[in-house]
Amino acid sequence: MGAAVSGPVRAAAGWALAALATLAVVGLSRVPWAEERAAGAELRLAWRWKSERVRRCRTLSPAEVAKLPAHMRRTEDCQRGLRPWRLEVAVDGAAAADDTIRARGAESDRPLFVFRRVPVAPGSHVLQVRFSPVGEGGPPPVGLDTVVSVAARRAVLVTMEEDTGRLALRAAAP
Amino acid sequence: MAHRITDGLRQPLARIDAALNRLYGWRYNPLYHSGVLAAALLAVVMLTGLYLVFFWGIGAPYASVQRITTTVFLGRFARSLHRYASDAAVAAVVVHLLRVFLQRRTWGPRVLAWLTGFLLLGTVWIFGLTGYAMVWDVQGLALVREGARWLDALPLFSEPISRAFDGERAMPGAFFFLNLFAHVALPVALGVLFWLHVSRVARPHLLPPRGLLAAAVGLLVLASILVPVGMAPPADVLALPGAAPYDLFYAFFLPLTRGLSPWMVWLGALGLGAVILLVPALTRPRAEARPPSVVDERSCTGCEQCWLDCPYEAIRMVERTDGRPYLVARVDPSLCTSCGICAGSCAPMGVGPPGRTGKDQLAAARRFAAAHPAGAGDVVVVACRQSGGGAGAGELDGSPVFPVSCSGNLHSSVVELLVRSGAGGVLVVACPPRDCWSREGPVWLEQRLFMGREAELRSRVDPRRVRVVHAGEAERGVARAALREFREAVRSLAAAPAEDPGDLERECAVAPASPEPLGRWVPR
Repeated sequence: MGAAVSGPVRAAAGWALAALATLAVVGLSRVPWAEERAAGAELRLAWRWKSERVRRCRTLSPAEVAKLPAHMRRTEDCQRGLRPWRLEVAVDGAAAADDTIRARGAESDRPLFVFRRVPVAPGSHVLQVRFSPVGEGGPPPVGLDTVVSVAARRAVLVTMEEDTGRLALRAAAP
Repeated sequence: MAHRITDGLRQPLARIDAALNRLYGWRYNPLYHSGVLAAALLAVVMLTGLYLVFFWGIGAPYASVQRITTTVFLGRFARSLHRYASDAAVAAVVVHLLRVFLQRRTWGPRVLAWLTGFLLLGTVWIFGLTGYAMVWDVQGLALVREGARWLDALPLFSEPISRAFDGERAMPGAFFFLNLFAHVALPVALGVLFWLHVSRVARPHLLPPRGLLAAAVGLLVLASILVPVGMAPPADVLALPGAAPYDLFYAFFLPLTRGLSPWMVWLGALGLGAVILLVPALTRPRAEARPPSVVDERSCTGCEQCWLDCPYEAIRMVERTDGRPYLVARVDPSLCTSCGICAGSCAPMGVGPPGRTGKDQLAAARRFAAAHPAGAGDVVVVACRQSGGGAGAGELDGSPVFPVSCSGNLHSSVVELLVRSGAGGVLVVACPPRDCWSREGPVWLEQRLFMGREAELRSRVDPRRVRVVHAGEAERGVARAALREFREAVRSLAAAPAEDPGDLERECAVAPASPEPLGRWVPR
């Protein structure tokens, strides 16, 4: 019936294979891998920004008004939401980011979030960050112009200090 | 296309099965028991986890795991066994799914088992990821960050959750609490899914053979003692970690997905999900190839044997409408896989898939016996099409082969007819019992032939002239060896008495209405 284990050699081979499979489980449970292969460094920009609410309106042309259903006709079209901000980052004079940060949500009323990772070589770098409101009449921009030193396999965080509203560097986890 | 893939890949699998059968015998072939091994290993994971969770601290996860590893009694051993058993469970689940796919056991009533099997694998995987987050080492952070990156692409959270793991603020304690809750709650989900997984099969196997279970757990215990797990560097949100040990059973995706945008990852996951959903449709045979069983109500004696034997609970016993005072079998076509096991269980040959009922088999066996006249020293082979019995070739080492769709489909009257037609013996080549595509075919076959299970082989057939061998698809050699051995045994027996040609026909005649329910069919 079948080909069952019939001798010591076959039994030994069976146990050896089982041991090998167990070793494979052990080996595959601890495979060395580097999330970051190169021994580089990183500048990380991360903060939350509660922008002010803005309301932008424009006057509709007679033709646009005529296209609307009679009960929905209005003279102005207004968009509400939080003011977008512009993020400009330069490292050693080279642009690393130049984006407009917009609020999330259907009503664009969620806080703005900045999150950027800028890979750099370990060592000192001139870092310039400018975070400025988009459009007329916003609050003053926030900036940081500094020399930052980053060790190999480390990240330096640029974040917003909630109490002062200033950008600051952080090199160790809070 | 799917059939070509499964047929192509099944050959290597059959060869691996054959090699393992040589080493362990089919009773202990771990590949045949991959599903129940996974369940047993997950039980080990839960037992060890229950011990570990008492020593784990939400406020200082890494430090508490370090304490478990260094100072807690049996802590390092329990942690090692917890990890190795969970890794082995993932491997066993993957093997089980692969087998089921390659054997195309994914359609019809098995769709639920197929889909819940993948949900089980996914749940086990998430279960493992939450476990690694609890360690809060380099790997835990990498896994959590990658998961957060994927989730942030979806419009689910008002704030990106990745921020929690980037050093902008302290790690929220709620994260570890939620993670612990998920890690403890997921076994409940596993239990529900497992129940669903086996809910459409009769008599599900829940544990591997004791010897196999002891060997599997014993080897993992040994590994936990000899090669225990250590501590990787702690998670540091402002570090870019170098090489660290990663568990490929759970973190296999990191090298693949880190370079992809989250949308690509979701697209890949959706594509994989679509393929998994489509597999039952792609592997389903043509309707005419696998017709559901039908009941000839005039022949049904209400004995309930088909209802007992059906491996998918596709048969119910219902009230008759013709006035007879006993029940009649009724097949639910949506649950029937056309395995034909009911045909082998019905003494009056009143049930089975069209073309494969006992009566159809008997007619085919008559033609077969006429076409292959066998002498007293000859052996006729009856082979399941999935076995290594040469059903496709029509002969095995010079012996003619009578093919059946499953050994459990074989009606014992066919064996009797072949013996009484003059053959010295009948060798039935069945698949190994734990590898039966219809779950229970070889088990019922042996019980019907040798243990008196309804519809049993009549006592007038010398049992020495009937033999069953279990040989998988790539074990033609096993079937050949059994045939050689059986031929020798048959030659030493006296010639079989000749068949009374009208006997079996009379026995299969429709039973007249009986005033009493028949516990078992009695030949007239």
